[in-house]
Amino acid sequence: METMTVNEPANLQKVDQRAGKYLTFGLGNEEFAIQVLRVREIMGVQQITAVPQTPGYVKGVINLRGKVIPVVDLRLKFGLPEIEYTQRTCIIVVQIESGSGKVQIGVIVDAVSEVLTLQSGEIENTPDFGSGVATPYLLGMAKIKGKVKILLDIDKVLAVEDVEGLGSF
Amino acid sequence: MPSQSDQLPAVSDKPVSAPATNPLANDPELLGDFILESREHLTSIELQLLTLDQDPGNAEAIHAVFRGFHTIKGMAGFLDLDAVRDVAHEVETILDLARNSQLAITSLVIDRVLESKDYLSRWMAALEAMLQSGKTPSVADPAALVSAIRELANPAGTATQVTVSLPSATAPVATTSELGGKFLLAPEEPAPAETPTNGLLDLARELASAPPDLAPEPSAAPVASENPEASRATEGRAANARSIKVDTAKLDYLVDMVGEMVIAQSLVNHDPDLHAAEKPRLARNLSQLARITDEVQRTAMSMRMIPVGQLFQKTARLVRDLSRKASKQVDLELSGEDTELDRNIVEELADPLMHMVRNAVDHGIETGAERVRAGKSATATVTLKAGHQAGHIVIQVSDDGRGLDCKKILKKARAAGLVEPDEQPSESDIFNLIFHPGLSTAEKITDVSGRGVGMDVVRKQVQKLRGRIEVQSTPGQGTTFLMKLPLTLAIIDGLVVGVGDQRYIMPIFAVREMLKPAEEAISTIQGRQEMAMVRGALLPLIRLHQRFGVNPRFEKPWESLLIVSESGGKQFCLMVDELIGKQEVVIKGLGETMRNIAGVAGGAILGDGRVGLILDLEGLFGAGEETGRHE
Repeated sequence: METMTVNEPANLQKVDQRAGKYLTFGLGNEEFAIQVLRVREIMGVQQITAVPQTPGYVKGVINLRGKVIPVVDLRLKFGLPEIEYTQRTCIIVVQIESGSGKVQIGVIVDAVSEVLTLQSGEIENTPDFGSGVATPYLLGMAKIKGKVKILLDIDKVLAVEDVEGLGSF
Repeated sequence: MPSQSDQLPAVSDKPVSAPATNPLANDPELLGDFILESREHLTSIELQLLTLDQDPGNAEAIHAVFRGFHTIKGMAGFLDLDAVRDVAHEVETILDLARNSQLAITSLVIDRVLESKDYLSRWMAALEAMLQSGKTPSVADPAALVSAIRELANPAGTATQVTVSLPSATAPVATTSELGGKFLLAPEEPAPAETPTNGLLDLARELASAPPDLAPEPSAAPVASENPEASRATEGRAANARSIKVDTAKLDYLVDMVGEMVIAQSLVNHDPDLHAAEKPRLARNLSQLARITDEVQRTAMSMRMIPVGQLFQKTARLVRDLSRKASKQVDLELSGEDTELDRNIVEELADPLMHMVRNAVDHGIETGAERVRAGKSATATVTLKAGHQAGHIVIQVSDDGRGLDCKKILKKARAAGLVEPDEQPSESDIFNLIFHPGLSTAEKITDVSGRGVGMDVVRKQVQKLRGRIEVQSTPGQGTTFLMKLPLTLAIIDGLVVGVGDQRYIMPIFAVREMLKPAEEAISTIQGRQEMAMVRGALLPLIRLHQRFGVNPRFEKPWESLLIVSESGGKQFCLMVDELIGKQEVVIKGLGETMRNIAGVAGGAILGDGRVGLILDLEGLFGAGEETGRHE
């Protein structure tokens, strides 16, 4: 199992909170990006222990060096069809802010691509999809080499009440 | 320097000893805490005083010193250490004046406060010596010191003496030499060795005290000669290192990590590749590693352990008060107080234990006259016993009273509708009824107990601690409650069971037996609720795979394994595919995102590094017909 640990800098500057380094990953046909600062490590898919009475996108829990952390399948969370895990499937361990402090959660994605540095000029606001399309998860969009990367607000994606299954899903 | 000693009035040669009448003062646990805490305060007092010496106007430092003495005074008063309390009180008075700018902090004031601090340190050393050797502490009468401190409040006296006081930097040294001459009553006193200055202090004291004839106190000389020089030095240095305060979160983390280490070690140890190698040196080193890991684990665990004696001590007071109130003569006998238990368990156990002792004195024990009539000694005995038994701690609360009255309990139970009129439960079943909510054996409500709540709460609490409680009783001879508790809450002895491709851990204390039932032992009620006949009792059958929504290997109960489990006094059968093994696991929370899942108490890392879920049987049994998510 390959792992990559990313150190968190002391302070996340909020000057332009969206500019900075992003880790991009693929999910279906789309490319998503999350702030590198939130990523603790990336690992291959390992045995996941299912936990009953949790929403379907919560795949279960894994052992992260002695700590038990929950794992969420981002495909299912976003309503995409479930697929077989492959060699490229990764668990990105992110640290999110929740009500009672920092929580580590594993996120299953199809494949991890690269780390990009995005200038504030490259980031566009999420277009207005009209009423009915909620975009609370999205920080914005970035167009890099003709491909659109969707910038995710991972705190909102994994908001605790959602993981508990009381949220919108 | 000897001229300095003129400032202090002569010390009375009557040593003060700790009064032996106060039970609190004789509690070594409390005294130990007092010593530890006071030493901390004294250390900080000294540092603050040295700050004040440099900067007499430092209000924060004055406050800090004041607080320190105030706390010590309070604790000393509690423990009947009058001399300590008086000195602390006088110093507090002076500091209060200083706080309110009615007294200037001069070197002399600091000298006196430091002297007081040293006097208190002496007391701590003497008390500690008493704890270790049992000898009565013998420390100088504080009268001289007290009057010396009082003099400070007199401005005229202060004015004349300021002129003779030394420059600030050397003041503490002068003070100590003074003490060496005057207060040399416990020369073995270990000086806190936390600041470099103390080296000087020690030296000065030693120099001053070396010729015994310098000490005007006659009783001091023999004490001094009893103590070899070497022990003095080591004692002084070790005094502060004997115990430290550690954040419990850190300890928990350590215990956690050690648990992981044990698992990792066992993984390595059982690695087939290593065994295939058949290298004797490797095998030797591996077993060495296993031993060390084991030792580390035990040590880590022991750090959270505290002796159960503390808990027992608390009941002593209760027994005295209760017996007086009920006009009964009761002796409390304690044994096994050294038995150590996880701190959390000891804390959680306090209430149930108190309750059982209360019950014993109030219900269990007869009045003196009744006892004499029954041919027993008028003085009853309540015994608290703790000990190890098969990896558990057993705490026993027994009395030699009248014992449980089967008939009375049964009558009450029938009246409460707990037992059918024609039912004839066995004696142990009847005894177990006292754990039922709403049943109490007290005939009338007394001030102390008998409100009908009691043993059910006790049982609940014990079960929460993953323990078990049993009652034995012989009419006319007494009642005994046995509490069987795990050594720690961090680790649980579990049965690893498999359902489909999932593995779960069942707490072993809840498992009664395991069996493969015969086909005809399974029946259904209204075609839905399945029951299994086990040893003549019909028990509800719960299919774990159904509850948790996993695909089992066996659908038929007679092909799978039934685990007869107990939760909340009720038995049921849990159907699983197979038994995989027995393992000690470190309990981990699943995090706040998955805190309240019915039937899951937590997670644990299994031998292969995967996470297994620890089953919460109460939740499983209670959680109706909910099904999991995997259809």
